[in-house]
Amino acid sequence: MSLELEKSVPQTPKKRTFSQKKKNIVSGYLFISPFYLLFLIFGLFPIGFSFYLAFFSWNGLGAMDFVGLNNFVIIFNDPLFWKSVYNTIVIGVMGTAPQLIVGILLAFALNSVLIKSKSLFRVAIFLPYVTSIVAVAIVFSVLFSNQEFGLVNSILSIFGIEPITWTRSEWGTKVAISAMVFWRWLGYNTIIYLAGMQAIPNDLYEASKIDGATLRQQIWHITIPLLKPFILFTVFTSTIGALQLFAEPHIFQGRGGRPEGITVVVYLYREAFDSNFFGTASATAIALFFLIIIISALNMYFTNRLGNSSKVGSK
Amino acid sequence: MKKLGYITMLSLFTFLGACSDNSENSSSDGNGDSNTNSGNEDATVNEENEGEETVVGGESAEVELSFWLFGATGYPELAKEYMEENPEISITFQEIEMEDHHNNLFTALSAGSGAPDMAAVEVSEMGRYQDAQDRFHNLYDLGAKEIKGDYLEWVWEIGENVDGDFLFGIPTDIGPTVMFYRSDVFEEAGLPSEPEDVEALIQTWDDFEEAAATILEETGVPMVDNPELMFNALRDQQPQQYFDENDELIIESTSDTKESFMKNADFIEKGYVGSMELWSPEWGAGMAEGNYATLLAPAWMQGQIKDNAPDATEWRIATLPEGAGNWGGSWITIPAESEHAEEAYDFLTWLLSPEGQLKAFENMGLFPSAPEVYEMEEFVNYTDDYFGGQHTAEIFAEAALQVEHVYKGEHYPAVNQEIQDGLYNVQEGVDKEEEWADILERVDQRISR
Repeated sequence: MSLELEKSVPQTPKKRTFSQKKKNIVSGYLFISPFYLLFLIFGLFPIGFSFYLAFFSWNGLGAMDFVGLNNFVIIFNDPLFWKSVYNTIVIGVMGTAPQLIVGILLAFALNSVLIKSKSLFRVAIFLPYVTSIVAVAIVFSVLFSNQEFGLVNSILSIFGIEPITWTRSEWGTKVAISAMVFWRWLGYNTIIYLAGMQAIPNDLYEASKIDGATLRQQIWHITIPLLKPFILFTVFTSTIGALQLFAEPHIFQGRGGRPEGITVVVYLYREAFDSNFFGTASATAIALFFLIIIISALNMYFTNRLGNSSKVGSK
Repeated sequence: MKKLGYITMLSLFTFLGACSDNSENSSSDGNGDSNTNSGNEDATVNEENEGEETVVGGESAEVELSFWLFGATGYPELAKEYMEENPEISITFQEIEMEDHHNNLFTALSAGSGAPDMAAVEVSEMGRYQDAQDRFHNLYDLGAKEIKGDYLEWVWEIGENVDGDFLFGIPTDIGPTVMFYRSDVFEEAGLPSEPEDVEALIQTWDDFEEAAATILEETGVPMVDNPELMFNALRDQQPQQYFDENDELIIESTSDTKESFMKNADFIEKGYVGSMELWSPEWGAGMAEGNYATLLAPAWMQGQIKDNAPDATEWRIATLPEGAGNWGGSWITIPAESEHAEEAYDFLTWLLSPEGQLKAFENMGLFPSAPEVYEMEEFVNYTDDYFGGQHTAEIFAEAALQVEHVYKGEHYPAVNQEIQDGLYNVQEGVDKEEEWADILERVDQRISR
């Protein structure tokens, strides 16, 4: 689109038939064209190529062989793929659901008049979001060390719990990875909720107080319904983020991952960059694409209903 | 748009992942030696330092070559000598982290453009390119037959194709494996602790097992740090590994790998194998504190030991029981895109000649792949006070001469990873026979596509 328009630019001085409106259109498109050009090269082409690649067998260097749907057959018959889908969903739920709930409560606390030095707390809560995922994962792998003298294992031993092999046990791995996700993204969601809460007029709370509403009723009947667009946004982004979880398990469990913590993207990465099967890796990407659509749609549907029912309840 | 987000996120994650491996694997590059004391100042030649790029050579040079490297090789420093005699050449060195280096190279070769005139390929990456002869210059066409005799046979063969008529690269350094051990732990267990005595004591794996039992009983310390290095040592002595030369998986039809696995699993069950994962903080701390008795590791691991245990005086070096293996080392290739293959080849034969390798050994501790160096006076007389004044270079050389070439194949790393994972599972209490069956299934699932 923009390419054609660029070509037509040299013609303008000759004909001089362009009205100001048309000129505006042309320059408008020219102004936005850098994004579209970059998107075309670095966005659209890779997306298209990955769809194309999903139907070929390719090791990155040799010839590409058309294999039809075989790549999908292979990954759908691989128990590890389904394990990775299961892990992704479990870690996603464990990492994000508590995060959103705690995020609302924290935002509510930050928004209330009771707390002094609010900006300090706001910064403190948001700070984990700024840290690099890699650094977080490395620090957490020290905390969740397999050895009995690791911090988490030492704390558990006070309660008489045997040391847990965090990187290699089914639930230990998931708890550790979810903890990383929780810690890092909590602040981000809290700040979004806080922004949303600040848009809620104080009169509503005052009126409800006069009517004798408790704190719980205030949260449930005022804050949450009015926060609905923000909740939708965070649920939506967290869901997508959770389904694309990669760096945390990749670093925590080491290159290639292990069945306890492998997520769909780690599986994809392993296929492509450890095993050189770019076809099955692309097929995994496409499967993930549809998985994200389905789960996001379901999530939107249910989150929408949650808001509505509570509104109904308040009447 | 969501897909766009997905792609950016993925590329971001991939990028971050690569960074992370930097910290994990920077030491496994085979060049991770600690002798990084070479100065970079030089007034006689024009040198520009732009981040990771170093240009060596005059501006008037007619031929400009590019050279991609990873790790600390000190090659730019060495190249200055070459430029003095060959002013018509200039070389731009790009030295980056190992994982990024290989990703860049693979992408450039896959795309068919952007590859340099010379590129290092690490031993574990060699298998990826076996099918891609069209992406490289055959160094035999450039006259490499003449220098073949200068290098260890098994090292040379890794740089060849299966038929032996195509040469991908010229060998740089290698990583022959030895047994680093803690003399204090041996002493405490009532075992001899001097290197000659330890070598005399541990000549076979049965001797090794006996010593492990004594050490565990007397000191409570495991013989080795983790299953990975233990398995490497056992595996590398087998005449066949995971694939035959037709790239057929043979771990089921031959018993070699299974034997190594079972022996290792047996050691794990008996408590001789620790669970301090490679590159983990506790693994590093274990070196300083003597939490394991031996480290069955390649020569370049001495850099790791010195970094992690700078004050330890107890580490000594002995040869491995029943023969050595190799971990690490690189081959310098000339991608087919290069228009200056002859100039690049001439430079490489100079750089990687026995004399050049001696210099690289002296500067950066790169262990030579040219056996001629092992006879040289400077090499033979090399002692290391950290290891109690042992003639370390000689011990590594002895190991290097014992290594046999084994065909590895494209999917070697994947199979290796599944087996290593399996050993950790055995450590978690899974039955070894069950785990072996499971490994076969996982490997089959992973590579048959």
